[in-house]
Amino acid sequence: MNRPYNRFSPDRRDFLYGLGASLGSVALTSLLQADEAATDSPKPHHPPKAKRCIFLMMEGGPSHIDTFDPKPELSKRHLEEFSRGGEEQSAMSSGKRYFVKSPFEFVKAGESGADICSEWVHLKERVDDMCFFRGAHVESVNHPTACYHVNTGNRFGGDPGLGAWVNYGLGSVNDNLPGFVVLPRSSYPQGGAANWSNGFLPARFQGTPLRPEGSPILDLNPPPGVTRGQQRTNLDLLATLNKKHFANRPGRSDLEARLNSYELAYRMQTEVPDVLDMEGESEATLQMYGIGDAKTDAFGRKCLLARRLVEKGVRFVQAYAGNWDSHDYIQRAHGSLIRSVDRPIAALLKDLKERGLLKDTLVFFCGEFGRTPDNGLRGGGKSYGRDHNADAMAMWFAGGGTKAGHTIGATDEVGGKAVECVHHIRDVHVTLLHLLGLNDNQLTYYHAGRFKQLSQFGGQVIEELIG
Amino acid sequence: MNLQRLITAILLMLAVVPPLVGADATKGEKLFALKLKSLFAQKCAACHGDDPEEIAGGFDMRSRQAMLKGGESYGEGVLIPGKGKKSFLYIATTRAEEGYEMPPKEAERLSKQQSLWIHDWINEGAPWPDDARIAEIQNKYAEGVTVATSGGLSDDWTNRRYESKHLWAYLPLNVEQVPAGVHPVDWFIDRKLKQIGLPPAGNANPRELTRRISFGLTGLPPDAAKTPSRAAEFERQFKNDPQEAVVRYASELMATSHYGEHFGRQWLDVARYADSAGFANDYARPNAWRYRDYVVRSFNDDKPYDEFVREQLAGDELDSNDPEQLIATGFLRMGPWEQTGMSVFRITRQQWLDDVTDSVGQTFLGHSLQCAKCHDHKFDPIPTRDYYRMTAVFSTTQFAERAAPFLKTENQVGFHQANTWTKAKIAAYTKQQQELNQQVSKRKKKETGNAKVGDNGLDPGDEASLARIRKNIARHNWELDKTKPIALAVYTGNTIVRNNVGNRLLAPADPWGKGYLEKDVILTGGDAYTHGDTVSPGPLSAAENLGAMPALAFPNGQGQRRLALANWIADRRNPLSARVMVNRVWSWHFGKGLAGNPNNFGATGKLPTHAALLDYLASWFMEHDWSVKNLNALILSSATYRRTSRHPNATELDTKYPQDDLYAAFQPRRLTAEEFRDAMLVTSGELNRQVGGIPCRPDINLEVAMQPRQVMGGTASVYEPDPLPIERNRRSIYAEKTRGLRDPFMEIFNQPGPDKSCELRETSTVAPQALTLFNAIEVQERALAFAGRMIKQDGDDAAIVNGTFELALGRSATTDEVKACLKHWERATQAEAGKKYEPQHYSSQVQRTVMAEKTGEPYNFIEILPAYENYVPDLQPSQTDARTRGLAQICLVIFNLNEFAYLD
Repeated sequence: MNRPYNRFSPDRRDFLYGLGASLGSVALTSLLQADEAATDSPKPHHPPKAKRCIFLMMEGGPSHIDTFDPKPELSKRHLEEFSRGGEEQSAMSSGKRYFVKSPFEFVKAGESGADICSEWVHLKERVDDMCFFRGAHVESVNHPTACYHVNTGNRFGGDPGLGAWVNYGLGSVNDNLPGFVVLPRSSYPQGGAANWSNGFLPARFQGTPLRPEGSPILDLNPPPGVTRGQQRTNLDLLATLNKKHFANRPGRSDLEARLNSYELAYRMQTEVPDVLDMEGESEATLQMYGIGDAKTDAFGRKCLLARRLVEKGVRFVQAYAGNWDSHDYIQRAHGSLIRSVDRPIAALLKDLKERGLLKDTLVFFCGEFGRTPDNGLRGGGKSYGRDHNADAMAMWFAGGGTKAGHTIGATDEVGGKAVECVHHIRDVHVTLLHLLGLNDNQLTYYHAGRFKQLSQFGGQVIEELIG
Repeated sequence: MNLQRLITAILLMLAVVPPLVGADATKGEKLFALKLKSLFAQKCAACHGDDPEEIAGGFDMRSRQAMLKGGESYGEGVLIPGKGKKSFLYIATTRAEEGYEMPPKEAERLSKQQSLWIHDWINEGAPWPDDARIAEIQNKYAEGVTVATSGGLSDDWTNRRYESKHLWAYLPLNVEQVPAGVHPVDWFIDRKLKQIGLPPAGNANPRELTRRISFGLTGLPPDAAKTPSRAAEFERQFKNDPQEAVVRYASELMATSHYGEHFGRQWLDVARYADSAGFANDYARPNAWRYRDYVVRSFNDDKPYDEFVREQLAGDELDSNDPEQLIATGFLRMGPWEQTGMSVFRITRQQWLDDVTDSVGQTFLGHSLQCAKCHDHKFDPIPTRDYYRMTAVFSTTQFAERAAPFLKTENQVGFHQANTWTKAKIAAYTKQQQELNQQVSKRKKKETGNAKVGDNGLDPGDEASLARIRKNIARHNWELDKTKPIALAVYTGNTIVRNNVGNRLLAPADPWGKGYLEKDVILTGGDAYTHGDTVSPGPLSAAENLGAMPALAFPNGQGQRRLALANWIADRRNPLSARVMVNRVWSWHFGKGLAGNPNNFGATGKLPTHAALLDYLASWFMEHDWSVKNLNALILSSATYRRTSRHPNATELDTKYPQDDLYAAFQPRRLTAEEFRDAMLVTSGELNRQVGGIPCRPDINLEVAMQPRQVMGGTASVYEPDPLPIERNRRSIYAEKTRGLRDPFMEIFNQPGPDKSCELRETSTVAPQALTLFNAIEVQERALAFAGRMIKQDGDDAAIVNGTFELALGRSATTDEVKACLKHWERATQAEAGKKYEPQHYSSQVQRTVMAEKTGEPYNFIEILPAYENYVPDLQPSQTDARTRGLAQICLVIFNLNEFAYLD
């Protein structure tokens, strides 16, 4: 049951964490400690296998066929005509279409002999820690609706993001940090910030995006020319002038919360850069993540930051990479995208493992959908790519109690459709929650006339994924 | 007729005459017939019987015999007649058995009482009377009310009973007589206060009241620049006759166009207004603004609400030659929608039908209908059949951007230069496109059979640019429609399949020519491809039956279906319509509805705290021509409205009545996002009060404006503000509202996203709001302009400081405040004196970096920003002296005060 709202008392954390207030603020600890008795952290529904989650969101829809799900059959049928039946024809499937093979070689990697395309030079060393899942599917073949679906459980925007639900269910580990941090690309995904919204949950559960360029949090700093001293004196005048107004309105905790929010904001200005500062990391670590190398720098930073954040107690980090929407030239496009994330992801898995964090950190990799085995005859069949496919997708897990070194489920012989251990994305959500100690059916919030839940109407745990 | 009698009457009306009951029912039989049959159906059947092919755990609950067999896990231990406590059926519902909590969903758990019914029923031998016997027992003993509807998918649902208190909204209005000489609002409110012995607070002080009334009716602060100040005049009048002073001020404000802007904005929250279509393309809706202005105009003209309803639902069917009527139907097009080459038309068509049905339900009938799409409503008497009767009303409704000449009342100011920016943008793109095409034609010969990226002679990035440019030219071309006499509207006709909608949709000459007439059927389980029973257009049957409305005819085929629905909603006998609107207006004044969920009057919405008052107002509203202005005047003339927000026994009030729904004191509220910005613009003297017209583009956070925004086929153009302050600094309602690019200032102050209907604004207090109000350039500029305005005033420094308080807060500064501010000003001026500010330089192009789809690598491109070619910034630090900049620090602090942010 939701906590009832009192007349004037916004929930304490509403103002602390909305959009990521008070990152790593030391001074804040004392402020909060005074209030510790009032903090009732919710408990997991059952003993969790994972305590935190890093979601590597591969925006645009990476091709399963060209990454982790080899289809030799496609090599045989390369450029044979393809036809699709059924009532649900969209214009995407119009015109003549042909099967197209993967331009990449595949290898059997690790002791587990997992299939992986050889472009993953670094990640193929980590497959024994990974659990590949080929049975997942979604519903939508449009980017924004599919992104919303994977991120919020609902194809239409406005519902809480996965990280918001997890924090609603588990509370925060570290009161100095927001529980849900998003590391977006400089261009937000289609559908924008609604992909990490708090939806109908209280504002404090909203994902806090740390922008990769410019100010990590909007308006974190005053315009040029305004010194910190000047800000301080302005804040002091504000406090003085607010005092009398407040004194005349006893019991107005909303006004008090607003007074406090200014001091917090002031502290954030020094604390946020501290969290982002990678100074303390060794040269070897930076190199391992590919930081400093133009190809891998952007995602390397995100992966390293993700590790730093979960180490500090952030429950849920989502890092974006992309855009994987390779309708043509898949060899070139997917090739360079794989290279841009390969080293960083491998480093993240290795780093987590070496620090003993992987066992209870769930790493989850997926896009909003997979890609088709077929394409138009682009460049005479030379510059082909793949279109959107909701019936199969690239997905894997690592750590957090998942079945390491296994490949679960299967797609058909051309990769058009999941056919074994088939599960709707809602079951993936239910499973993620389950690993984190949460029961989707119990993790509900009353809104607009009914108890809502991440899976919308319930789903099932995919037992095969659990180690 | 009082409520109790009415319910009794309805019970009599609906109940089948009880047949002779044979032998008297046993306790066990009664438990089953009255409680458990429906409980099992509601809570268990989904997994244990509805689908005989898939019975969860092998436990079938369709008959006593099947239940006695039990399931895979507990076999005959599930139901042991006579042994309730031992029967697993009972144990599972108490959730004592880990892993077997039933029903599995926590939210669905049975109450203790419900578990005990099962326990007792088993103890009584678990009798299972047949249907005839059940009917007998129900007729004789059942509590609650059955409701006649168009019929559920099952008899169980059709015959189920409702707690009568949850049916309040469907019953005819129950209007009490109010004694002469007493204000009806106060009579009802004070009656309840007297009952619990809580004295109401006294009048608010007049200065606070002017702010409350002014923001409440216009969304703007009182016009303090008037001399003598209107507030001072109000104060004088208030001393003589508070009620008259309020009414006079209110009618004055309601006569200004700002009234319609403010009430319009509140309506647009419910209607989900935006200037773009959302989703992958987020195409502009270049004519949506005419609907926005129609709404503003309607409130300003005090259009009777019943007409307002008819026009928005069926203006085209009322008079398709009247542009105003076409514009009004924009309401039906407000939700996000798109049809791309990737989507299946049938699905997106159904998405709209679902969206409009739910939206009409929430907006006009206070019912979210979405739940009934897949199954009969779990809590309200709304069968799935009703849902599809409602969608059938819209199944001949088609989109078109129809020709609609401009009305004299529409603001066409700035039309001649309105497209300057768009055209410059297109020209710049076209030039870049030509350059790239030239390169292609020059180098194309190098292309080999073994095609690779770049073989057309372009760098991969440039190739991506070509696609991006083509897309943006198309996008901007559509935007040029904004000054054309076109209405975002609908027509009635056949459905024409559209594979990809990226341009204006024209209405066909013969609406019944091309395309097909949609079949009106129940879509089983909400699946667009699974057809159930055929339905005919119709309204909510429960409202018709319980509300004792005469059945109005709904046409089929080529008839005017929407007009029928509009007439049904606007009918005075419709029990929902007036209640819903009156409750909205009340919530706009008091921050909460008499019924707590303005979009949900069903069983899951909050019950009205003052049902009699709600009914009285609803009836009064209709008797007074459905006039919202009259209703406002009535509400504002009450003592309830005038109360101070500070109750003498505030502590008692807070602890004893934390839900605060007694109206013993006025509930203070924070300004909305729009009010915040508008109030700063009024105070700084920068607000352009022009009413209506094409959307403006204010300055927004520059980082967000320049951030690449992905749309289908590439990256959308940068957000560029209008070049001139007078164009930018208009009221926030006129700011272009793009679904995929929200103004972070608005968002952070809880402006709702335009995808879902917002029944009431929320207020959260988060630290980044402080960052925005202290650091954002858009706020700093208001503070500087405010200082620039004040520095020119006559008088000494103390007078200037006092003036800032008067303008911003509507009161004089105290001696202490003046002292503190003067000291601060002096210090800030000294600090500023040492600083040198260079005039801001605005580049008319920007280099942007995005990812090329075809290479998976980032590439850079130059985007031309025509708006910055002749961009005139607001007052800049470089244009002011240190003293002004010093004063600006005080102005900034004032904008941040709780007193500025909150209304008492």
